[in-house]
Amino acid sequence: MTQVLIPTSLPELWSALREQPSAHLYAGGTDLLVKRRAGLLDPAILIHLGRIDALRGVTADDDGLRLGAGCTHRELLEDAQVRAVLPVLTQALQTLGSPPIRAMGTLGGNLCTASPAGDTLPPLYVLDAEVELWSAGGERRLLLRDFILGPGRTALQSGEILAAVRVRRAPHGSVQHFEKVGLRNALACSLVSLAALVQTNPAGRVKHAAFAWGSVGPTVIRVPEVERHLIGQPLSLSVLSEAAVLARRAVAPIDDLRADADYRRQVAGNLLLRLAETGSAPER
Amino acid sequence: MTERSARPELGPPQSPMLEIGASVPRADAWAKVIGAEHYAIDHYPLGLLWAGARRAGLAHARLRGVAIEAARALPGVVAVLTAADVPGTNRQGIVHKDQPVLVEDHVRHWGDPVALVLAEDRETLRRALALVEPDLEPLPGVFDIAAALRPDAPTLHPGGNVLLEAEISTGDTASAWDVCAAIVEGTFDLPFQDHGFLETQNGVAQVEPDGILTLTVSTQAPFRDRFEIAHALGLDPLRIRVISPYLGGAFGGKDGATVQCLLALAALHVGGRPVKMVWEREECMIAGYKRHAARLCYRLGALTNGTLHALDCQLYFDTGAYAHLGGEVMELGLEHAGGPYRIAHTRMRGWAVYTNNPIGGAMRGFGVCQASFGFERMLDRLAAALGRDRLDLRRQNALRRGDRNAAGVTLVHSTGLAACLETLSRHPLWLERDRWPDQAPPLKRRGVGVAAVFNAMGYGRGLPDAAIAKIALTPDGRFRVDSAVSDMGQGNASAFAQIAGQILCQRADAIELVQPDTARALPSGSSSAGRTTYSYGNALVRACEALRAKLLHRASLLLMVDEPSGLALLPGRVRHLPTGRDLPLARLAAMLPETDRVSIEQFVMPVSQEVPDTGKAFVIGFPHVLFAYAAHLAYVEIDTLTGKLEVCRYLAVTDGGRVLNPRNFDQQIQGAVAQGIGYALCEELRLQEGRILNPDFARYLLPTSLDVPDIASLAVATVEDTGPFGMKGIGEVGINGPLPAIASAVEAALGRCPSQSPLEPRRLVAEVAAPSASDDAPR
Repeated sequence: MTQVLIPTSLPELWSALREQPSAHLYAGGTDLLVKRRAGLLDPAILIHLGRIDALRGVTADDDGLRLGAGCTHRELLEDAQVRAVLPVLTQALQTLGSPPIRAMGTLGGNLCTASPAGDTLPPLYVLDAEVELWSAGGERRLLLRDFILGPGRTALQSGEILAAVRVRRAPHGSVQHFEKVGLRNALACSLVSLAALVQTNPAGRVKHAAFAWGSVGPTVIRVPEVERHLIGQPLSLSVLSEAAVLARRAVAPIDDLRADADYRRQVAGNLLLRLAETGSAPER
Repeated sequence: MTERSARPELGPPQSPMLEIGASVPRADAWAKVIGAEHYAIDHYPLGLLWAGARRAGLAHARLRGVAIEAARALPGVVAVLTAADVPGTNRQGIVHKDQPVLVEDHVRHWGDPVALVLAEDRETLRRALALVEPDLEPLPGVFDIAAALRPDAPTLHPGGNVLLEAEISTGDTASAWDVCAAIVEGTFDLPFQDHGFLETQNGVAQVEPDGILTLTVSTQAPFRDRFEIAHALGLDPLRIRVISPYLGGAFGGKDGATVQCLLALAALHVGGRPVKMVWEREECMIAGYKRHAARLCYRLGALTNGTLHALDCQLYFDTGAYAHLGGEVMELGLEHAGGPYRIAHTRMRGWAVYTNNPIGGAMRGFGVCQASFGFERMLDRLAAALGRDRLDLRRQNALRRGDRNAAGVTLVHSTGLAACLETLSRHPLWLERDRWPDQAPPLKRRGVGVAAVFNAMGYGRGLPDAAIAKIALTPDGRFRVDSAVSDMGQGNASAFAQIAGQILCQRADAIELVQPDTARALPSGSSSAGRTTYSYGNALVRACEALRAKLLHRASLLLMVDEPSGLALLPGRVRHLPTGRDLPLARLAAMLPETDRVSIEQFVMPVSQEVPDTGKAFVIGFPHVLFAYAAHLAYVEIDTLTGKLEVCRYLAVTDGGRVLNPRNFDQQIQGAVAQGIGYALCEELRLQEGRILNPDFARYLLPTSLDVPDIASLAVATVEDTGPFGMKGIGEVGINGPLPAIASAVEAALGRCPSQSPLEPRRLVAEVAAPSASDDAPR
């Protein structure tokens, strides 16, 4: 028998955490229930975070957006501010799971699961997102990429929860792009995914570029040499093909049932070519 | 609440007149949509016990013993049974009885059951199953066809690893190749496919106070189940009753024993308590039957003018640990190996081979699905070699009525392939096919593919394909059809209502459908082989006509008219047309004793009157004489960066004879095409030494609604003289087209296509070589 605690305020949450420090936290439960059925997890006590209003909602200021960790994927997908400011996240959310999973699953859950295949992670990596971690004792902030430590591992400490994600507005005129490769068009774990944030000058040369790959390493991967390689260059197929070589060198995919490492490595590079301004033939 | 009450009241649709040819709603739609339908899995008799099987967990091993003491000692465990507790032969199997109910000493696949546990609740059952410890001595295993055929291979069965080897030949292939202007060859590999039905294998069983063993089970063959159980457990088959509610899908996977013998065995040990068994999804995948993995080796030759002339092929089917219907599946594959074409000289050889893989069995398309990939790939390659249009080459060689098919059988029944291809050739999707690749976006390649396929109906020669229909006038003046063939979702029960309504001139609410119950209905074979509506429907036509004639005669007595010629059946009544007098059917029923209100008639499917001098290895099932035909067209788009393939448009043109219900017809075709798209794109059992690595729907991928395009379905309504209202079965033919049509489109797009299915991104990305001209188009 599992005991489920459902705090409806932060004070209730802190006292529940104090009394049950070994409790397992969850929000939408879309990962928890799968793991539980598979026998990978059988917590005696669960704390449900879905009824705490302070963890919900999207707010905007001049710097950017603050996304409550308790927001469901569907809420974020339907949020006009998220669509306008963070199209790369919207694109990723459209590929996440299925309508029922998007209705239940939350942003905070997707981040705390810390899977390299988590669909919201690559967009938030290229946006240099920060996470707000709250505990009874206060708040601290970390860059998302410092928060995620490895597959299933985060920097969350005991008694601490992920409360929100803060994302700065991308420079005006930036291209935001996300692509996920799965074995089907819904309910698919990504074989490899790419989020991109690219800013060009009026001459079409790259001023700033950020790329993050999912499912090709123990965590989402940024590749600085790819980003550096593009600075000052046009987004042509030949330039992107050179960058693709660097990307393939940097990623560290594994073989699994869904795809082998060679495929993932190849495609991790290929996905850059989608950014070409014009569609001339890819070079090989 | 206010929001709710503002909505119009939901209720079942108005009861329509049941007429053949009309798209009347399915009889089962309403109950299924509102969740009221009771599938077998919804049966929870009071006081039930839960039964579960301990699976071996090794693909090949000597079973030295099973330690059951710890499980038996667990509170709440009622019994733990092993092979020693099985009375009778302990052997099940539809044709070959080679599969133990509980393993005695030889484990042949991962999911082989070694013990049966009975417990008061599911949680106790789960814990007890984990406490059962089989003592296994691993044996070297056989995990593919080539390994099974090696002379030094470990043998899985006393007769060796070849379940059945056979040949179907016509003409003289020895000399036929010399005159061929083009010869193409290819070897193709296809994986095991799971049925993916929603309702997993399950049932309840109980020994009734009168000693009758009653099972309510999700099954395609309730009448045969009695004999399977009786043979395995040493019981009298006629003291076994099987009830088969609507199934939540089956596709062949519930043809043959799944839970039946285990449930019956359990029921015999618990003093009359009901026992329930439900396989979880993983168990369903591990222990259930599969579409056979296959390897096909083809060689096809044509004359200069494109006439197909010679075929040599070898088809190997991996039947896994047990026969199930492996020999029969191979028979169908072989009989269809030449495709729906005239080929004068053929030599088609087949092998069904035992391995330590999961059990190959019946699945929609039954061997033909695999062979279709082979012969249609050959047709495309031949078209390329001859410089011919792919569709044109198929039309030139298409079987027509009166031809002999590649197995040497004269086609005396309806043969509508040429009409299917003709219809496809005039469809806008074919006429505008060149625009599709021309309009490909950057980094995408597009292609259009076609396929011509066919599928035999019925059991074939040697196993009478018979059905006995029963319809009765009820005391309240309605009609009750005792269906004897399960409805697994394909809609045959609705077709029965429509047939009865048509002949008896009744509305839907006057026809009561009773799903198969061996205590009420009469033996009518299995729900399979595209024969369900055809065979039972034919018997029902006869039963309804006899009942109509009888009721009109009886009505003439009550209405005091000299003869029944002026009488007509109308909804709920009989009318004397010359005088306009009506006799309510309830009144007529009240006059008649129960025995007089019933009509029972039998039908037996025609078989080939030819005795081909080939296929001698097939004692039953060869040849067939009735076939459904289809021509399919697919538009695909392949991403050159990822190898991801999208099926963007699809057309299926089907000859299933006359169409009883256009909507049901289209839905069955669309369902088959969707399942075929899964087979083509993503469905594959991943095996490692006989262990399934993806025994769940997170890793065994079925296509979602976003992976299947709108599917246009057109009927070429030939008339099958022997069919009820001119129909033929179309349950299977639709699944044979997608893989070859999509492969054809891939080849059109990329210039080549993998010879191994499914056509996954990892395989396609390897085929994407030099970019085509279409990549140069501006975005």
